[in-house]
Amino acid sequence: MNLLAFNLPLVVLLPFVGAAFAAWASRLNRLGAAYTSGLVTLLSLALLMPSVPLPFHDQTLIQTWDWVPDLGLYFSFRLDGLALLFALLILVIGLLVIFYARYYLSAKDCMGRFFAYLLMFMGSMLGIVLSENVIQLVIFWELTSITSFLLISYWQHRKEARQGARMALAITGAGGLALLGGMILLGEMVGSYQLTHILAAGDLIRAHDWYLPALILILLGVFTKSAQFPFHFWLPHAMAAPTPVSAYLHSATMVKAGIFILARFFPALSGTIEWTLLVGGAGLITLLIGAYTALFKHDLKGLLAYSTISHLGLITLLFGFGTQLAAVAAIFHIINHATFKASLFMVAGIVDHETGTRDMRRLGGLIHYMPHTATLAMVAAAAMAGVPLLNGFLSKEMLFDQAVIASSISHWALLLPVLVTIAGLLSVAYSVRFIMDTFFGQPKSDLLHTPHEPPRFMKIPVDILVVVCLAVGILPALTVSPILETAVAGTLQAEVPDFSLAIWHGFNAPLMMSIAALIGGVALFLKRDTLFQLYQRHEHVDAKRYFQASLQGILNLAQTVTQRFDKGSLQHASAWVIAVSLAAGIVGFAGFNGSLLGETPVQSVDTLTVIVGLLGALAALMTAIWHRKRFVSLVVIGVVGLVIAIGFVKFSAPDLALTQLSVEVVTIVLLLLALYFLPQASPKEINRVRLWRDALLAGVSGIGATLLTLSVLTRDFDSISTYFLENSVPGGGGTNVVNVILVDFRGFDTLGEIVVLALAGLGIYSLLQGMTLPAPKNDLRGRLWNPDKHPLILQTLTRLLLPLMLMVAVFVFLRGHNLPGGGFIAGLIASVALIVQYLANGIDWTRTRLQIDMHWAIGLGLLIAIATGLVMMAMGYPFLTSAFRHMHWPVVGEFELASAIAFDLGVFLVVVGATVLSLVQLGRLSHSSHAGSTWKS
Amino acid sequence: MEWLLSALILIGAGFTLVGSIGLAKLPDFYTRLHGPTKATTLGVGAILIASAVYFSLHQSLSLHELLITLFLFITAPVSAHLMAKAAIHIRTRSIQRTQNKPEFDSEHR
Repeated sequence: MNLLAFNLPLVVLLPFVGAAFAAWASRLNRLGAAYTSGLVTLLSLALLMPSVPLPFHDQTLIQTWDWVPDLGLYFSFRLDGLALLFALLILVIGLLVIFYARYYLSAKDCMGRFFAYLLMFMGSMLGIVLSENVIQLVIFWELTSITSFLLISYWQHRKEARQGARMALAITGAGGLALLGGMILLGEMVGSYQLTHILAAGDLIRAHDWYLPALILILLGVFTKSAQFPFHFWLPHAMAAPTPVSAYLHSATMVKAGIFILARFFPALSGTIEWTLLVGGAGLITLLIGAYTALFKHDLKGLLAYSTISHLGLITLLFGFGTQLAAVAAIFHIINHATFKASLFMVAGIVDHETGTRDMRRLGGLIHYMPHTATLAMVAAAAMAGVPLLNGFLSKEMLFDQAVIASSISHWALLLPVLVTIAGLLSVAYSVRFIMDTFFGQPKSDLLHTPHEPPRFMKIPVDILVVVCLAVGILPALTVSPILETAVAGTLQAEVPDFSLAIWHGFNAPLMMSIAALIGGVALFLKRDTLFQLYQRHEHVDAKRYFQASLQGILNLAQTVTQRFDKGSLQHASAWVIAVSLAAGIVGFAGFNGSLLGETPVQSVDTLTVIVGLLGALAALMTAIWHRKRFVSLVVIGVVGLVIAIGFVKFSAPDLALTQLSVEVVTIVLLLLALYFLPQASPKEINRVRLWRDALLAGVSGIGATLLTLSVLTRDFDSISTYFLENSVPGGGGTNVVNVILVDFRGFDTLGEIVVLALAGLGIYSLLQGMTLPAPKNDLRGRLWNPDKHPLILQTLTRLLLPLMLMVAVFVFLRGHNLPGGGFIAGLIASVALIVQYLANGIDWTRTRLQIDMHWAIGLGLLIAIATGLVMMAMGYPFLTSAFRHMHWPVVGEFELASAIAFDLGVFLVVVGATVLSLVQLGRLSHSSHAGSTWKS
Repeated sequence: MEWLLSALILIGAGFTLVGSIGLAKLPDFYTRLHGPTKATTLGVGAILIASAVYFSLHQSLSLHELLITLFLFITAPVSAHLMAKAAIHIRTRSIQRTQNKPEFDSEHR
């Protein structure tokens, strides 16, 4: 068994499976979830290991399975340098975060939920970075939006957590839609949705007319996810999440997904002036805004959030330069940012955990209480500030270098080195502030409890990350060089350019800029008081307010538009539907030239058909006229239903006639039960104008439908019924074509329908559950209801009926495949049989004797139906193919045993379950509504 | 045999017709109640017997009709009973001859 043939999907899907296990494990043991998650992550990592050497040898591992090949959709995974780097970051930092979270979460927090969400998120992220098919990539992308929503809102009882999560979901979800659009454009341009083809077609894409729209759509996805200006504002609000989540989502994963897309499509999209302006511009603005705002945040995590925004801007800016060396620097900074930012978030979490606050104005002097943590924080913050001998310094030097190179393009570009130096200066200032205000200065006395070092093991993940920062900073060539080179090769899909990872490049411009930033940053920190006053003047500018205002605006607009069409009145809504279909029909007729009637002559009609037809029309008219006399109109509706059934019989559709009849019975019972709760007198609701409008609509649409039918029926046309008639017996093994279509040819449709029916039944049940409505005690003339609720004659005789009706149901069911009948009709007959018992004997009486929970019937029916389809799939046929064999039993005679009958049994059970469940629930409503009154059942 | 079957069908049709006329013409609810019950029991019954005999002779043994008869015999009296009960409860207007409790009328009408 070659693991390299299928390990990538396992790596991705394992966390999803593990999530279920983690949720389950937390019931056994509070810490079970943490250990399960750790094990799952390790297992994923182990599964990835065999394929790790491949990218280092310039090989790309691709594993593909068909999904919907006709749509260009494949279940397809890819491992190259870039994917490997990200997968390792996700898994390793994920492992550290799980370790950290095990100590961070308090006893009140539900461990299972947290770790299950975390694992699902990890799986989604792995899916993004390991996808070869771009549509599959978008699916995982959306999954990260959803799972991050769950993670951010983990503390559901906090308002800001819910708000922050909603905002993150709205912004990143909208971006995901844009990304999907971009990917589809990209796929249509290239003719394939596989990354291999897209990445190789860079020249074609850049020259294509759709390049700009595709680029903008993809960048919308990237900028929303990676919190780039002007979509950066969701990230600080997402800080309401537990700190391990922030450490994971905002260092190595969630926000890096956008950056990953930039890197992934770098060979396909970069190198144009649009790319440089859009990507570089957004990156530069974000870099500056983030760094500037971070300086003024008093909340530790708020500071880190804006610093994350700023660093993401930095990476985006680097990609925006579009040169290969800039891409190297960008990838390098991705690694560095992930390490130092994750450790800083964890430090912030430790401080919060031990002191009970994250407000820097209330913190200070913590170095006396937690020297170890303080040391770790200082190293990590120094890396963030870009102090030499740490990893942040190296990538920041590369940024400065690139800015200097880019400045030679034009006069305006001369500003670039100045601006990035200012950003560097600001980042030094906020890093210094992070350390100074938290760990130095006077210890504050108003803390909740005296701070002390956290448990030893809570610091281990931070230790590891900080050691990595140091090792990369001091010995870059020995540590990070190989994986960086591989990742760059994967990003560029080309030869890796020469770059040198060294601490000392001599006295050059970037070094000067670094020194300027360091000195300037410290100076700025010392002079911060004046700046703080300046900032307070425009502090009220809060993007959240604009976001909420525009969201409310959109909601109001949607509501206004909806209310125009849907006033909560059925008549109004159907008037719109009819009017629109009329308009569509009129447009169609107007654009049609040719005679209305075709060549086939109109058949002559016999008197009986005319009489029955007129009867139906008259009954329909009477329903409308007598609509205020409720019982009369109910009777007339029954006439309409009967006429339709007779029509079906006349035109040889006995199945439909049977169905119509049984549906009619159920409908009348349903209406009677519902009428009980409606006002007894219907007021006159419509005026003359409405009357004429509705009459006009009805008349014109009736005439239109007649004309349409006439013009279709007088023409020769190929109907699909020939196919069904010919293939019914050889293909489906049944002579009742209607039934064979239902259970075999179009079995998937039927499955969908019974699912809808099941949902409707369950929906009615849960809507009416526990509901009491004011039920009238008497009728309009003040007569009380008859106290004899269950007349003896009715009771006795309907009990006789039950076995008889069930026998008919079984008969109709068994013969369904060859003669009129089938699961649906049999189900309706059986439901009527059961409902009659409920009506005649009362709910309590029947329930004690008929102890079948209709929920189980629905569930069992769906299971049987799906299982039938799956068995066929397992045997290598398409879903729901029917296998059949003729049987001969004595007495019963010859009949057919088709696998379709199992499917039909599923249909039967769902129909019985849903119908009885909803009708009995309606009946129970009247029961419970009378519970308080003088009546007892 | 032809004659017997024809006679049965005619009897059935005749009772159904009489039942329908009765439903339309009889003076009050209780008398009208008789019409359809005649049609469903005797009228349909005769036709069903004809059908059963005909198909049993010409094709295989046909007993579906027995089931239909059974259903009719159970449901027709139940529905008639329920309607009558409802009519008594809401005190439908009735003619003199159907009232076996005359004081009912004088007090309430």
